[in-house]
Amino acid sequence: MSKADNLFRPTQYFRPTSVEEAVRLLVEYGEKGSCIAGGTDVLAMKDPQIEALIDITNLGLNYIKSDSQGLRIGATTTLAEIEASPVLSEGPYNIIAQAAHKVGTPLIRNLGTIGGNLCNASPSADTAAALLALGAKLKLVSARKSRDVPLDEFFVGPFRTIKGDDELLTEIVLPPLAPRTGTSYQWLTKISTIDESLVGVAALVVMDDKAEIIKDARIALISVAPTPMRARKAEEMLRGKAVRDGLVEEVAKLVADETRPRSKPDYRRDMSAVLAEHTLKEAIAQVTGSKLQGAK
Amino acid sequence: MREIKIKVNDEWVTGPVKADTTLLRFLRDNSFTEVKKGCGEGDCGACTVLLDGKAVTSCLVLALQAEGREVSTIKKKGDQLLEALKEAFVKYEAAQCGFCSPGMIITARWLLSENPRPNREGIRDALSGNLCRCTGYQKIVDAIEYVSMEAK
Repeated sequence: MSKADNLFRPTQYFRPTSVEEAVRLLVEYGEKGSCIAGGTDVLAMKDPQIEALIDITNLGLNYIKSDSQGLRIGATTTLAEIEASPVLSEGPYNIIAQAAHKVGTPLIRNLGTIGGNLCNASPSADTAAALLALGAKLKLVSARKSRDVPLDEFFVGPFRTIKGDDELLTEIVLPPLAPRTGTSYQWLTKISTIDESLVGVAALVVMDDKAEIIKDARIALISVAPTPMRARKAEEMLRGKAVRDGLVEEVAKLVADETRPRSKPDYRRDMSAVLAEHTLKEAIAQVTGSKLQGAK
Repeated sequence: MREIKIKVNDEWVTGPVKADTTLLRFLRDNSFTEVKKGCGEGDCGACTVLLDGKAVTSCLVLALQAEGREVSTIKKKGDQLLEALKEAFVKYEAAQCGFCSPGMIITARWLLSENPRPNREGIRDALSGNLCRCTGYQKIVDAIEYVSMEAK
């Protein structure tokens, strides 16, 4: 038995049936309380500080809803449900399902939730890359107020977020997609899919009505900085540009410059450029219908 | 301590649990020792059970989270696919030391409920959370593929 095993001794377990009750418990236990949903991070990380586990799987936060306002995903929707969702099975939102499929193992994905994947705030959280590229916002609810936070501002360090101890992530909100949007997510790991991603890149492009000029672009990366990140300079380089030979390659180099990898920095930087190139080409090709050379 | 009930292999099992008792601990304490403890952190899959029909690592589920729900282990009776998988594992020599087999077979059972005709790649993908240090997986994939072909 490891040392951590001896120290992890929560003594209280609650299964509230409303968000109000859940946030009241979060206030009551403060930093000694922890939400638990799938449990795949909470029970594996064994934080000795935790005294009370607040099970949030009975709050009605398990859903994927699509309408004219965009897409809303309940925080306790499991990664397996996201993989299998018909709403996410095609089109630009499909990168969420692809990223969810990359997390852990099938056994973990049957338990683990998308809200948990974000709140755990691992620098290598695959779902974060896809959701950053899609411009996601998070709904954080406390006893006093509810606020919408852009996912860009959510992560502040490895395994750290701006979410207060008294706040509950209830929902992930994705804005409606502009016409002629293309997306792609690609990743690399050490050996097999169950290893965490060494580099993951998600790209989104919005093309003009002739599918020639890039109106908007987002490039999000994981595992190449202390937190999931956007490559904003590279994105800016793409806006308003006509697609021409060499453009994506130049931008991909810029993406690599923006990364801040700590371990295996050369490899991670080089592969950031490679995956940025592949994902941008794939996203553009989805809209234009023609393959740029090098698109996977 | 609190008494809870969990339906295991079609029978209600009652036992005392604490806030931090895992489903794995509850099962083993109640004689379901066919559920193995490996890593205890969800990496190896030795403790896999079906929870409301889905394959999960029971080391990462609290017993209290499973209260009132249905759990199936490899010893569940009267499940044709489960029986067919066990026979195929023998036929194809898919078990050597056998420690991973209960979890491996439960995951295979779940896979066949989701997808009755998986290809070999699909089988390997489904088994990616169940580690085997003996067989090299080939014979395990063979056994599951055989059952998926034979099943009506």
